[in-house]
Amino acid sequence: MSAVDGGARRRRTGRPAVHALDVAVLAWLVVPVLPLLVWGAASRWSAPAVLPQDWGWDGWRSAYDGGLVPALARSTVLGLAVAAVATPLGAMAGRALGWRELRHPAPVALVLLAPVVLPPFSVAMGLDVLLLRTGLPGPVAVVLLLVVLALPYTSYTMRAAYAGIDPELEEQARTLGATPRQARRRATLPAVRLGLLTAAGLAFLVGWSDYVVTLLVGGGRLVTAPVLVGATAAGSGNEAAVAALSISSVLPLVLALVAGAALQRRREERA
Amino acid sequence: MAPRGAGIGVVTRPGPQRPTALPGRRQAAPAVVLVVAVTGSGLAAVVATSLGLMPLVGRPRLTTDGYTAGSADLLLAVRESLVIATASTVLAAGLGLLVAGVLLGLRPGRGPLRLVAVAVVAVPHVVGAASVGLLLSGAGLLPRLLGISPGDWPELVGGSWPVATVVELAWKESAFVALVVVAATARRHRALTETAAVLGAGPWHRWTRVFVPTAVPALAAASLIVFVYSVGTYEVPWLLGRAHPEPLPVMAYRLFGSIDLAARPAAAAAATTGALVAVLAAVLALVAAPAMRRRAGAVE
Repeated sequence: MSAVDGGARRRRTGRPAVHALDVAVLAWLVVPVLPLLVWGAASRWSAPAVLPQDWGWDGWRSAYDGGLVPALARSTVLGLAVAAVATPLGAMAGRALGWRELRHPAPVALVLLAPVVLPPFSVAMGLDVLLLRTGLPGPVAVVLLLVVLALPYTSYTMRAAYAGIDPELEEQARTLGATPRQARRRATLPAVRLGLLTAAGLAFLVGWSDYVVTLLVGGGRLVTAPVLVGATAAGSGNEAAVAALSISSVLPLVLALVAGAALQRRREERA
Repeated sequence: MAPRGAGIGVVTRPGPQRPTALPGRRQAAPAVVLVVAVTGSGLAAVVATSLGLMPLVGRPRLTTDGYTAGSADLLLAVRESLVIATASTVLAAGLGLLVAGVLLGLRPGRGPLRLVAVAVVAVPHVVGAASVGLLLSGAGLLPRLLGISPGDWPELVGGSWPVATVVELAWKESAFVALVVVAATARRHRALTETAAVLGAGPWHRWTRVFVPTAVPALAAASLIVFVYSVGTYEVPWLLGRAHPEPLPVMAYRLFGSIDLAARPAAAAAATTGALVAVLAAVLALVAAPAMRRRAGAVE
């Protein structure tokens, strides 16, 4: 303890103990993905060698042969479909909640949180049972359930976004002669742009990274990137392919995040 | 013919009284109806299947066989799910608080750490599970780095304790907990800790007496989400756990895909039980929340 206190007096924000903590936290967050990064560039890496015996891109070739590209395309379409439905629905509900336009907001808020609590596999199994009887196409049911799973994120993001702006804004636009539709499109929606972008990103993520719903509803005929990762990881001796598939399904997200962070920094610098 | 409602037109003439054309109820309706319809029909079908009311073939017959025929296995699965969820939640909450503390105390130029935390949240669990498997198995990276031969390495993947499953969940969910806590406390954190510092509190007391108590409401909410997620997760214990005992989702999916048609009610029973455990946890948390909020409010 005394070392920490001594360090604190030296410089208020530069405590030495915290440097060690920084490193430990970074290690905790990064070490679990290290095997993927090494396997992604290894062709042969038998135990107990610390580094691969043969470096190479064999894993990428077998991932490509195993259908990596179509799987990524399916995941993209699934993510976009979920975002396309869950974002507007969440925005509408978020507006009603954020602007306190409901006489009884509590039940609505509770219903929109319910999908976070209910295990997706339970609901998915029930939907699969119903699919056989109703003839609803599997992919449609997958999108519907994933939209429901995304709605808590989109509606609560948009609730916060709407709570941050004054409903007066739209009223003023109306006073200046805008129709209700124009007022919404030209005044309100631009003001909640960042919220919409975040909500759409979260909804996309729900569709892009889902495993169990895609697998259960419709009997696993929709082979997305995570489904391919799961199927490959369940086998043995194909670590390099697992790594290639995994990196491909994470890299687009990381790039989007870095780009988003850079954009935000530019926005903050301009502000 | 006069339009309907023309008689009360004087009262309802459009004016500047409300900023919206639509009442909030109609705005919220599509989302609420979709959630209720999809989760309601899905859960109803699962419960009906578990009670023998929706058999794949044959006549519906109300029975509790789905629950009672394999009740020993079902109870074991409940226990395994609770063990996994409790351990993951405790670890994710503790480590998440630590990560949040580091993120809040960050000096300028350490923004990338926050980006790393966001990236961890964005990694699909199935990818995380695949990677943790390659880290902790006998031929994994960790025993190689430590120079321990596969034979001497404990069975962390697929062993008698769900170690790898818990590590994966704790890893990804600690980043989630950290981001929730940071979002909830960032605005007041600096002012509060600076005041505490001026009043003579050292780093340790600033953590335990200021940061942790103000973080508790967000931490509790995030922990609840981690708990119910861990009860419901399939892919992580499926990839990293052993065959027996298995947690509820793994049991449910295995039975659901079984060629034995009689296994379907048992699969649905496991799924129903999983939903019950999650709902029960949420209800308990909601009941306990007011007391927790009161205690947190006392700090400020």
